[in-house]
Amino acid sequence: MTQPSAPSRATAAFGAQGLLLDLINNPADPGYAAVAARRMKRDEPRQQVKDKVLTAVGAALIGVLLVVAYLHTHRIAPATSRTHDALVSKVRSAQQDARALQQQIETLQSQISDVRDRILPRAGQLLNELQLMRIEAGTLAVFGSGVLVTLGAQTKSGVTPAPRAGSTSIATTSTLTDRDVRSVVNELWHDGAEAISVNDIRLTPTSAIRFAGQAVLVDFQPVTSPYRIRAIGDPDVLVTNFASSAVVSRYHTLAGLGDVQFSFAEQPRVDIKAGTVAAVHYAQAAS
Amino acid sequence: MIAVIAMALGVVAGVVLHPTVPPELEPYLPIAVVAAMDAVFGGLRARLEHIFDAKVFVVSFVSNVFVAAMIVFFGDQLGVGGALSTAVVVVLGIRIFGNAAAIRRQVFHA
Repeated sequence: MTQPSAPSRATAAFGAQGLLLDLINNPADPGYAAVAARRMKRDEPRQQVKDKVLTAVGAALIGVLLVVAYLHTHRIAPATSRTHDALVSKVRSAQQDARALQQQIETLQSQISDVRDRILPRAGQLLNELQLMRIEAGTLAVFGSGVLVTLGAQTKSGVTPAPRAGSTSIATTSTLTDRDVRSVVNELWHDGAEAISVNDIRLTPTSAIRFAGQAVLVDFQPVTSPYRIRAIGDPDVLVTNFASSAVVSRYHTLAGLGDVQFSFAEQPRVDIKAGTVAAVHYAQAAS
Repeated sequence: MIAVIAMALGVVAGVVLHPTVPPELEPYLPIAVVAAMDAVFGGLRARLEHIFDAKVFVVSFVSNVFVAAMIVFFGDQLGVGGALSTAVVVVLGIRIFGNAAAIRRQVFHA
């Protein structure tokens, strides 16, 4: 039984703590006890019919509420997961299509180069020029000495989740964005790199490094941290220039603060795959 | 007894009528459910202690739902909605648990 005086006693004795003690020790609604006490005092007769109707209405209301909540939760969940599954399978099939098309491009490319090799004179001036241009355009797989730069996001452990789901901004979840990858790549070009790949995606003159959602897109292909940026070039010039650049000192500072992982090393052999260049449609040679 | 029948009727009505919840009321649904469960357990306990009162039962249910929704609503407006929902659930959850324990003592005398 609830003693109406007990809460006030506990509250008086322990202050705010008493409130919590009351909460745990006296879970019963004091209203029932109060009404019962009042009725005892006045000796009121129970209003049977009215009571029953009220109880029934209240209980029915609770029943409706519970079942609505149940239906709502269980009707929504499958719909959400269905949409999610559909989207995932769509993405998967699109990725498969892209891979198949990529393979087709590669076979056609090799056919083209076969045909070209047959037509062009061996080791001629023309072939050399073409090869140089194709290396510059990034349509030829290349290897050589170079540098490997690793740029990785440090997983943040101390980030407090936002009070409401969906309000977490990108900046708090991933430290590295397209700008970081781009600045490293641009610095490498500036330092004399002849070919660059980001996570094995060859950069061509028309390549774009962008940011969408939480992924860095290199030529519309998502890449994730850690970003491995390979560059081919004269190791002495490339590494020396790169090491003394502002970009490197910035990322070294950030790595020292523990925000990112950053390292680079000279490599005796770097392999870079061929990239695909969109065909030039509109530009024409002026002369 | 009448309450059990009425609740069953309410459940059936909910299944049959299939009312849709407007999206702006959605965040209050879980809170309302917890408040409703608190009212049910409180009422059950009062009934076992022979002090059940229909008015208290209905008023406590309605006001619990209303106050809980208010707390969440204002919390939402002021940017502490998640924390206040947790507070409501914790408080009502403790009450449900305590009432369930009291019911257990009444029923099993243990």
